[in-house]
Amino acid sequence: MPPWVNFEPFIVSGLALGGVYALSGVGLVVLYRATGVLYLAFGAVGALGALIAWSLTTRAGAPGWVGWLACVAVAGAVTLGYGLLFGPALAKRDPLIKAVATIGLTLILYGVMDLLWTASGGQARSLTLPTDNGGFTVAQIQVTWTQVIALAAGVVLTAATGAFLRFSKLGTAMRAMANDRDITATLGVPVRRVEAAAWLGCGVLGGIAGLLLADLVALDATTLTFLVISSLAAVLIARLRSITVTFVAAIVIGLLHDLLTPIASLTSYRDMTPFVIAAIGLLVLSRHQVMTQSREEA
Amino acid sequence: MSGTVRATRERASPSRIARRPSRPQLIKASITTVLLLFAFFALPELLSLYYVDTMTQVAVYSMVTLALGLLVGRVGLVSLGQVAVLAIGAWSAARLLFATTQPYPLVLLEAGLITMVAGVLIGLPALRLRGLYLALITLMLAGSITVVLATVNFPNGGHGFLGYNGSLLHIPPIRRPSIAASDPAYFRYSMVVAILMFALVLAHIKTKPGRAWAAIRQSEPAALAAGINIWFYKLWAFALASFITGVAGGVLAGAIHYLYSIGFPTQDSITLLAVTLMGGVFSLWGAVVAGFLYQFLPALLNNWGVSADWLIILFGLGVLQVLTTAPAGLADQVPRDLRRLGRRLRRRPGGDGA
Repeated sequence: MPPWVNFEPFIVSGLALGGVYALSGVGLVVLYRATGVLYLAFGAVGALGALIAWSLTTRAGAPGWVGWLACVAVAGAVTLGYGLLFGPALAKRDPLIKAVATIGLTLILYGVMDLLWTASGGQARSLTLPTDNGGFTVAQIQVTWTQVIALAAGVVLTAATGAFLRFSKLGTAMRAMANDRDITATLGVPVRRVEAAAWLGCGVLGGIAGLLLADLVALDATTLTFLVISSLAAVLIARLRSITVTFVAAIVIGLLHDLLTPIASLTSYRDMTPFVIAAIGLLVLSRHQVMTQSREEA
Repeated sequence: MSGTVRATRERASPSRIARRPSRPQLIKASITTVLLLFAFFALPELLSLYYVDTMTQVAVYSMVTLALGLLVGRVGLVSLGQVAVLAIGAWSAARLLFATTQPYPLVLLEAGLITMVAGVLIGLPALRLRGLYLALITLMLAGSITVVLATVNFPNGGHGFLGYNGSLLHIPPIRRPSIAASDPAYFRYSMVVAILMFALVLAHIKTKPGRAWAAIRQSEPAALAAGINIWFYKLWAFALASFITGVAGGVLAGAIHYLYSIGFPTQDSITLLAVTLMGGVFSLWGAVVAGFLYQFLPALLNNWGVSADWLIILFGLGVLQVLTTAPAGLADQVPRDLRRLGRRLRRRPGGDGA
């Protein structure tokens, strides 16, 4: 076991990673509860936004904030567009079909990204936020503002989303739709508009997550697109329901992943962390499944 | 139970119940035979080595999509981790081929059985979950297997249990069966293996397990009420699919001679599900179509100098199209559309066949 000092920097980076996972997880849970869609293209829209931001800032010479706004706007627009186009057509199908359909979107976006920002040729892109340079030191650990923002975004957005779902009218409508879409529609809730709001919100979160991950991890279409699988782990432990559990699970996954880095015998297995935690969590939580559940799920 | 079963697609035609092959069935069987004979005898002579190798890959991946189609279409279990299962099969076959001098068919059988055991071990806990959760846990488990594979690597002729030696200068190729050392011969070999696997699935579908799976897919509570052991038959499907994928992995090992963990990324499982759905999961032809989509089209585009990214985009569009308009995939849609077109042509005054 390496000395504790070796672990210290990884606490910070782990918390930052966990923050972004939490942010992604909350976006996924909100959309799932409102529409029944598990949005597997979450990583892909974030990657697309981040790559567009990269092109705007480094190629076209636009100021940084234009790129960030474009990133969030593109992710939101693509997600909203998909939701409006395919949401109603698949609304009555079971959640599995809806999730698989977003795989279609993922593949389309991935193909487009690989075509336009080809990974071959060995040129590595990077998207650096100005917050990378500033920072402070806590107990001899260097902390960048980006890491602070990542964790803060996770915390703030989880709390804000929780409050939004609980207290706002739109949030209440979303929760009602999670329970029963048809009855909610009968009660006079504009179902399509509420769903559109959820799609847009999820896409915007995807854009923010993409921007942060492009800085914290790597700006690469493949990495960012399939990093969603890791955020899914937290969502799965929360059984696609609770945003609090999602948040806690995301932080634990992010922390554990980075804390395994200095341990020589485990470091090459650290990417398994989200999968293993999700698998264990799911299997333990699913001990008491009843047959009637299959009717609504399958 | 018979009501449920008869309601499903594959039991719908009354001619099946009459036990005597009808005319369309005979025509279909003879077309299949002619196609297979053509592929077996003529194809390797007509094609360049590049396309012969491609066709070997098509045969391999037809087995993989056959297994996935069986799970998705027959039993209603969506697995997002089939590439990891394929990797397990390829790994075990490569290890056995380096370690022993057993005949190739025996190695394929053992690789299939090892993969089957692994699949059952994964399936035992995972099958408690249903639908979306099952799909996602297979994705998670596949992710774990990929990470492990990246660390332990594929056997390359080294010693020890893992058979990997990072400092080897001359990595020996994975051997092929002595009767199928050349590329055309190996294509024929893999085709025979693929036909055996298709026959194995057909035998299952036509008999008791197939009926049980159909009932489970229709409604689990109804199947349970009819006295079907849901858990057992689901596990059976999982085991069969893993066995077939494991055998496919063994054939793949000999086909490409050198295996690298980078060749089995988790995201390929997602693409694999996409092509399987596009091909069609309700007919065995769908698996062949999917094999062509997954391996032949990329080779063709590569030969034409077109980026494979267009294909990924096409697969994405295909998934959306299949899920929104054509749930039975290309294997069902194309013949139906052709028949419809034929009818329309005949109906038109002055058409060929009025």
